[in-house]
Amino acid sequence: MHHLYVHIPFCHRVCPYCAFYKHTPGNTQMAAFVDAVVAETRRYRDKMEINLHTVFLGGGTPTALSETHLERLLTELRETLGFEHVTEFTLEANPMTVTAKKAAMMRAQGVTRVSLGVQAWDEPTLKTLGRDHSPAEAAETFAILREAGFPSLNIDLMFSVPGQTMEQWAGSLERALELKPDHISAYNLNYEEDTDFFDKLQRGLFQEAPERDADFFFHALDTLERAGFRHYEISNYARPGHESAHNAAYWFGKDYLGLGPSAVSTQGLTRWKNIADTQRYLDAVQAGLLPQQEAEQLTPDQHQLERIALELRTAQGVPLTRLETVPPQTMATLQSEGFIEISDAHVRLTRQGKTLADSIAGELVG
Amino acid sequence: MSIELTRNFSIIAHIDHGKTTLSDRLLGFTNTITTREAQDQHLDAMDLERERGITIKAHPVCMFYKAKDGKTYKLNLLDTPGHVDFSYEVSRSLAGCEGALLLVDASQGVEAQTVANLNLALGQNLHVIPVINKIDLPAADVDKVKRQLEEILQLPADEAVSASAKMGIGIEDILEAIVRLIPPPTDPGDGVLRASVFDSVFDNYRGVVSYVRIFSGSIQRGMKIQMMSTGQNYEVKDVGVFKPKMVACDKLESGDVGYVIANVKSTADVKIGDTITETRNPAKEPLPGFKEIHPMVFSGIYPVTTDDFESLKAAMGKLQINDSAFTYMAESSVALGFGFRCGFLGLLHMEIVVERLRREFNMDIISTYPSVVYEVKKTDGTELVVDNPSFLPPAGEIEEIREPIVKIFIMIPNENIGDIMNIVMDKRGMLDHTETIDDRRVMLHCVLPLNEILVDFNDKLKSVTRGYGSMDYEHAGYRADELVKMDMLIAGDPVDAFSCIVHRTKAESRGRQLCEKLKEVIPQQLFVVAIQAAIGGKIIARESISALRKNVTAKCYGGDITRKRKLLEKQKEGKKKMKAIGKVNIPQEAFIEVLKTNN
Ligand SMILES: Nc1nc2c(ncn2[C@@H]2O[C@H](COP(=O)(O)OP(=O)(O)OP(=O)(O)O)[C@@H](O)[C@H]2O)c(=O)[nH]1
Ligand SMILES: C[S@@+](CC[C@H](N)C(=O)[O-])C[C@H]1O[C@@H](n2cnc3c(N)ncnc32)[C@H](O)[C@@H]1O
Ligand code: SF4
Ligand SMILES: [Mg+2]
Repeated sequence: MHHLYVHIPFCHRVCPYCAFYKHTPGNTQMAAFVDAVVAETRRYRDKMEINLHTVFLGGGTPTALSETHLERLLTELRETLGFEHVTEFTLEANPMTVTAKKAAMMRAQGVTRVSLGVQAWDEPTLKTLGRDHSPAEAAETFAILREAGFPSLNIDLMFSVPGQTMEQWAGSLERALELKPDHISAYNLNYEEDTDFFDKLQRGLFQEAPERDADFFFHALDTLERAGFRHYEISNYARPGHESAHNAAYWFGKDYLGLGPSAVSTQGLTRWKNIADTQRYLDAVQAGLLPQQEAEQLTPDQHQLERIALELRTAQGVPLTRLETVPPQTMATLQSEGFIEISDAHVRLTRQGKTLADSIAGELVG
Repeated sequence: MSIELTRNFSIIAHIDHGKTTLSDRLLGFTNTITTREAQDQHLDAMDLERERGITIKAHPVCMFYKAKDGKTYKLNLLDTPGHVDFSYEVSRSLAGCEGALLLVDASQGVEAQTVANLNLALGQNLHVIPVINKIDLPAADVDKVKRQLEEILQLPADEAVSASAKMGIGIEDILEAIVRLIPPPTDPGDGVLRASVFDSVFDNYRGVVSYVRIFSGSIQRGMKIQMMSTGQNYEVKDVGVFKPKMVACDKLESGDVGYVIANVKSTADVKIGDTITETRNPAKEPLPGFKEIHPMVFSGIYPVTTDDFESLKAAMGKLQINDSAFTYMAESSVALGFGFRCGFLGLLHMEIVVERLRREFNMDIISTYPSVVYEVKKTDGTELVVDNPSFLPPAGEIEEIREPIVKIFIMIPNENIGDIMNIVMDKRGMLDHTETIDDRRVMLHCVLPLNEILVDFNDKLKSVTRGYGSMDYEHAGYRADELVKMDMLIAGDPVDAFSCIVHRTKAESRGRQLCEKLKEVIPQQLFVVAIQAAIGGKIIARESISALRKNVTAKCYGGDITRKRKLLEKQKEGKKKMKAIGKVNIPQEAFIEVLKTNN
């Protein structure tokens, strides 16, 4: 097992579009939470061979933990699992949750990469997204992170937000580039079930706009490529050498261990998911159990299907060997209509194909 | 029991005037069913009948009534359906009777099917007793209905019994009138068995059950019998009567109505209208048969999964024995695969067969837009009968197309004449003449193409007249008209399942409608898809489905790609059910949406 994910389910404020498992801290005992994650970690250490190459703390908001609790968590993780071979150690952070001191502690604990959720650089879009920070505050946090000397910094942006104009989106990209991040994730807003945004979509207050999605996507692609970023996955752009190795592990079908509430793990063809409820997660761990809530056994066909769907989204593409059962007619049509190209035995999306990745994946797996 | 004490009768009426409710009352009053069993619409045994509140099949039932003259009579009641589509069931039931109760709703008065059904009964020389029902309703107007009986129907109003089936008023009067006015069955007296089969059903446990009226002789278990139309001989396994459940008895005698179960193997061996006689001492001549009924409306019925073809075929065979008016023949369609072209008496009949296949036989099926039967004369002089538009020859080879027409009787309030005439015109109909019914209502006699009244004519009539209008029709042969075949092309390829025959003046609007519907139901594809309606190569309507613009989820969360995979798997399952027309994938649902009856 070379890849570790730890889920920290706390946010100071819950965003109306977000479907990750998270909640406000409420009266959760943070010390007990850290204890539980550590206990879970030990249980897996005794169960399987772990030799970590990448670590990713996501959320929620990992930086919502106080400096003390975060430091203890990082220390315990490192001491329990050994980080000698870790080359990439990412932490997700929200603006206004990182002080210079906390940043220095993180860096000292071996964090190499921070992913900052900025989402937008203009007030109206931030307001629609229900974010609790201003553009200036996001810039300030970014400066703190730079100052702390992390080798790789990412900025998360979202596009096609209700009401967002092309100017605002272009502005957000420009402003992000001015800060010279090493990596930018540009996410097309998804209307996720059980969110406020989804509700509004259902009630007709928000509308999906595939035209705008495409225009904004192409604008990001062109702008970021011109700025020297490589589009290496549908939603991800990196300066050469700053591609996320942890995410690549997911995309290329490596095993990963997930700790914390709602975290998912995959080992071979076995996948399991932790309890997505902080209190019940704590209870389970404290009762000496593994806090898993559901497990599934993938069939080789299902595994294959996942591989195709994920690899198709990457710049590396899908090896032709995986696509031997696709009817030649389908391949030919996708190629002649300009959705895919085939070179060095891989199928890759063309510029036009990138906006239709899901449909094309559907053609290649069906 | 003496034949003198037997009375066989039907209840006939316009739809919903209360036949089934009255039947239940009669059963209750004669203790044929106990109060515990008595549930509303007891005789409507099928779920479908209960749900829709209409009678689909004729239901015979035998009851005993001790009359005021001190004698106990055996009364055989044949409840009948009221809807036009099932008027053949009415005639068959009437053939087993000597009399009929003609029910008229006291608040609605005489309606189109009151007239039509009365004519059927008089045509069979039955004694008709008028019953004015629903007198409990505030809007009931018994005197007016009596006048209508005299004026419109030429029936003696003083014989009319006033009743409320719902409240149980007048039930005994009705029974007394039956005993007093309806003659007992007559018998030729030669002792030779003659039994007329007026219906048959398939029972999963007992096999084929034939419903019979005995006109002479008697029939009992163990007897060797012959079906006169086929000459096939069988042994009787069981005979009995309906109370209303099947109850076995020793024998059925002249004048009786009941059932016969013989060792009939196949559902195809029993013909409705056939005469059963005794092998040992056969009748010389069969009883007069029933008028052959021909299906007037056709539609394709296809299994959703091709594997179900054989079970669908078996289900249809079983249905057909209960429903001789229903026909089916294997056919295939590029779009829908292997299925059947089925014939029905009308739209309600079609709906009911489809529902029964779904419910009673658990079949997952698609039924296509209904069509009438066309007669086609080709340029080389040959004639052709076409019940499926996709089999029409190319436009260039057609000399003329003839379509079935009907004479239709529409009874409506005076103030709706204008609106109804507009509908008739719009449906390519002509007014033949108008007949005054009373100071409020008229009867319009019109001639229309059958095709035009298939789908929504009755609904429109009802809505324009706020329920006060009623109609009935009879077939009136074929007539040539400017009919054309319209093809639907998807991305340039014609799709046979969507072809239809339309009148030239209506082609464009129907074409536009179909294009719009197809645009609505075919999902966006990776490419632009053109949809066109064409007549003989000439495009008369078009739409296009724009290509998908963007379809990518932002990300796969925290390594949880299970959800995403499930979506893809669903997509993959869905695609298996799609038909590829050229490079366009059309989901099964799209075909159903466009082809199904109610759109
Ligand atoms: N008020 C009132 N309602 C009645 C009476 N008789 C029947 N009904 C109602 O009229 C409706 C139609 O009754 P049915 O007995 O189903 O009529 P039907 O003639 O058998 O109908 P079809 O079989 O469809 O031709 C039902 O809602 C009955 O409850 C009556 O005497 N008074
Ligand atoms: C796991 S979240 C946590 C990040 C951090 N808590 C924050 O909000 O800054 C990672 C990123 O997912 C993206 N995201 C969340 N919900 C999304 C949605 N409904 N559609 C598209 N992207 C979404 C946001 O850009 C967010 O920064
Ligand atoms: S987007 Fe980030 S801050 Fe907002 S609710 Fe989701 S995890 Fe929390
Ligand atoms: Mg009825």
